[in-house]
Amino acid sequence: MEKRKKDIDLDAIVAKYRPVVSFRVKKSIGVRTPDWEDVVNEIMINVVEKLKKGEFRGDSSIGTFIYTITSRRIIDFIRKKSKVLKHAPEPNPYLSPQEHVENRERAQWIADSIEKLKPKYKEILYLYYYQELSREEVAKKLNISPRRVSERVNYAQKLLRKVMRE
Amino acid sequence: MKKCHFENLIDEYLFDKLDEKQKEKFEEHYFNCPQCFEKMNQTDEMIAVIKAHGSEIFRDFYAPRKTRRSRLEPVLAFLTPRQWAMAAVSAALILVVALGVIPNRKTTSPEFLINDDLVRGSSITLISPVIDNLDQVPSEFRWQRLRDNIEYKLFIFHQKELLWTTTTKDNFVTLSENTMSLMAPNKKYSWQVKAFSPEGFLIAVSSPVQFNFVTSK
Ligand SMILES: [Zn+2]
Repeated sequence: MEKRKKDIDLDAIVAKYRPVVSFRVKKSIGVRTPDWEDVVNEIMINVVEKLKKGEFRGDSSIGTFIYTITSRRIIDFIRKKSKVLKHAPEPNPYLSPQEHVENRERAQWIADSIEKLKPKYKEILYLYYYQELSREEVAKKLNISPRRVSERVNYAQKLLRKVMRE
Repeated sequence: MKKCHFENLIDEYLFDKLDEKQKEKFEEHYFNCPQCFEKMNQTDEMIAVIKAHGSEIFRDFYAPRKTRRSRLEPVLAFLTPRQWAMAAVSAALILVVALGVIPNRKTTSPEFLINDDLVRGSSITLISPVIDNLDQVPSEFRWQRLRDNIEYKLFIFHQKELLWTTTTKDNFVTLSENTMSLMAPNKKYSWQVKAFSPEGFLIAVSSPVQFNFVTSK
């Protein structure tokens, strides 16, 4: 597009996209897979190489360019893994990419903030996120409309986001 | 801040509820939309906290523990919880001996992959429920404690689908009324427990054990 290859600021790209690539990798192969970080490293190295070689020609956005490299590497990883893993893949429970919440103090603080919410918001978080019921199921349980469920979830989120940004 | 219409997909993406196509589309999107990415990160952190601290955050919502002993045979009514657990195990053993029924349990250690190596980990012995045809929805799931500071993740499946899961540091989980209401009589369920070290590594798994219950009352 407007940028030619010599104008590309590699450091800025790495800084901006590494968290995105990490998230995607952890989500796909699981944070329990100890080598997820190596996969991220390989992808970032690959991205930089390709950018240096001028392989990004701006036919798509840089985001999509990096997304494609990431997807390819993940598919590769899973294919290799499943050759070793003979068992059928397990059902996928919710495994957060941030499962080991590194900062215990912060986690506790967020937990406390949730605890202090009004019961109607706590209840919605409990059913929707903790029990993983669908909007429809929550609506039925609380005898409100699914739309109302979404509104409450969104509002509870908004309150917590404020806390989390602090 | 104007709302991006992809934001609605964040929850479903995090809970793996999108189909392959939607998922890819959303993934490509958050590589291009810092706003969605940031929001997804926050939501994910929030869910992680809810999952990890749920039992304390939501303690008001847990149904008070019910004594269901009276429903069972009078001879068992005075047993302590520990004896109860033992009773469950002996009941399973009796079943094996008397009926030649082998509960769905393996005694060998499970194997899993760590750094491409097949590792033999310890197994977790499930205590109850380990028998079929219970007379009501099981309200408590109990397993053998490994050692201190272990995080256990309990999974309940209906056929191959995950029905419910939770994390705890105890060696049991008491289901709330709401969770129990997810299960219906005469269907096949199974449950499984995985153990994680404080660093978050999988260190032990149980074999899945099937159960079902007969009536809804
Ligand atoms: Zn967006």
